[in-house]
Amino acid sequence: MEFHSFDRAYVERLRAGDYRTREHFRVYFAALIHVKLRSRLRSREDIEDVRQETFARFYIALREDKVCHPERLGSFVNSICNNVLREHYRQAGKHVLADDEMQDEPPSPLPDPLTTYSSRETQDKVRKVLDLLPERDRRLLREILLEERDKDEVCRDFGIDREYLRVLLHRAKKLFRSLYLRHNDAPEFTPV
Amino acid sequence: MDHNTVASQKMAERYLLNELEPELRDEFEEHYFDCPECAADVHAGAVFVDESKFILGAEKNQPDVVPATDALATRAAPLARAGWMAWLRPSLAAPVFILLLLVIGYQSWHYRALKKTVSTPQVLASAVVNVNVRGSEPIAVSVPFGKAFGLTLNLPPDRSFSSYKLDLYSMQGQLEWSQTAAATGSDSLWLYVPASDRAPSILLVYGITAQGVSEDLGRYPIKLQNSRQ
Repeated sequence: MEFHSFDRAYVERLRAGDYRTREHFRVYFAALIHVKLRSRLRSREDIEDVRQETFARFYIALREDKVCHPERLGSFVNSICNNVLREHYRQAGKHVLADDEMQDEPPSPLPDPLTTYSSRETQDKVRKVLDLLPERDRRLLREILLEERDKDEVCRDFGIDREYLRVLLHRAKKLFRSLYLRHNDAPEFTPV
Repeated sequence: MDHNTVASQKMAERYLLNELEPELRDEFEEHYFDCPECAADVHAGAVFVDESKFILGAEKNQPDVVPATDALATRAAPLARAGWMAWLRPSLAAPVFILLLLVIGYQSWHYRALKKTVSTPQVLASAVVNVNVRGSEPIAVSVPFGKAFGLTLNLPPDRSFSSYKLDLYSMQGQLEWSQTAAATGSDSLWLYVPASDRAPSILLVYGITAQGVSEDLGRYPIKLQNSRQ
């Protein structure tokens, strides 16, 4: 995917309807919005609704020339998403959750739409990273990510601390990225 | 929040592990929406976490599964010894032929049903879209999910476009269909949206001048309201 920078020219191309710019915008922010929402909303449909509404409002703001700081386009999209999310909670009949309650919202139980963006190749690379891990670390990831056990409890059982968990995830993620970039000159998600 | 803080405090990992306090989480999100490096890192991490859940979950359901590379080697060996003729063994050939027959049967049935649908007059649900209205309400169409429907696009009468471009995006944000229609002097276009198992989510309309300049004429979210048919 072609390199873009969020600047006045990018915004103008968006406004003019340039197809490649719009595709970049859609792919880039669809992925980020999904990462943001997956820990807050229960269903895939709700995530899609909020994402769709965020994009719709952005394009309205774009048409009305309300994008004042192109270099902070990401923050603008994020703030729109936050507003849509708050309204979503109200419209769904839920009380506005306090922040600590939002923290406790379980992640979406449905198959993750991020897999929409991934491919068999991506799965193979993740599998490769997991195969390289010692069995103990695989079990640790299984307990935390799949079983979703309490992290402090898991750390006690495994005789580790939270920092070990973070370092494990950091290394695995780094290896995954390096495996992916080694074999792809245009990853499915390209930063600006 | 600056990038150095994010890196030194392993914000991405803490975010992916749901360890951040809400205020810090919101701050980090505001950061990575603007920081390409952190955005790529968070996204890669999220993909890794989600795929790992899938892979580890599959392994959990098959406790005797050997690591993928070993399994491939184990399965490949007998086939390699038997050669390509191994595919004609009854244990393999019979289920494959049955599957092929089922596929052929389904496709024949589906073709007959499709042919009947397109050759039989039908009354379609429809809705009207006033294209010259900015920021209009979502298009509400009362139609059973998975059924076809029509859209009448009332074009702006006072604009001189040589053609119109229509983009239809799915719920998944993917471009499902795109078409350019020449302006014929009529004040409306009629769009037939065929039956699909994925409801379209948004229609984008552009006017294109004779000089090739494209003008955005609006975004029209489509909401299907299931009728009692």
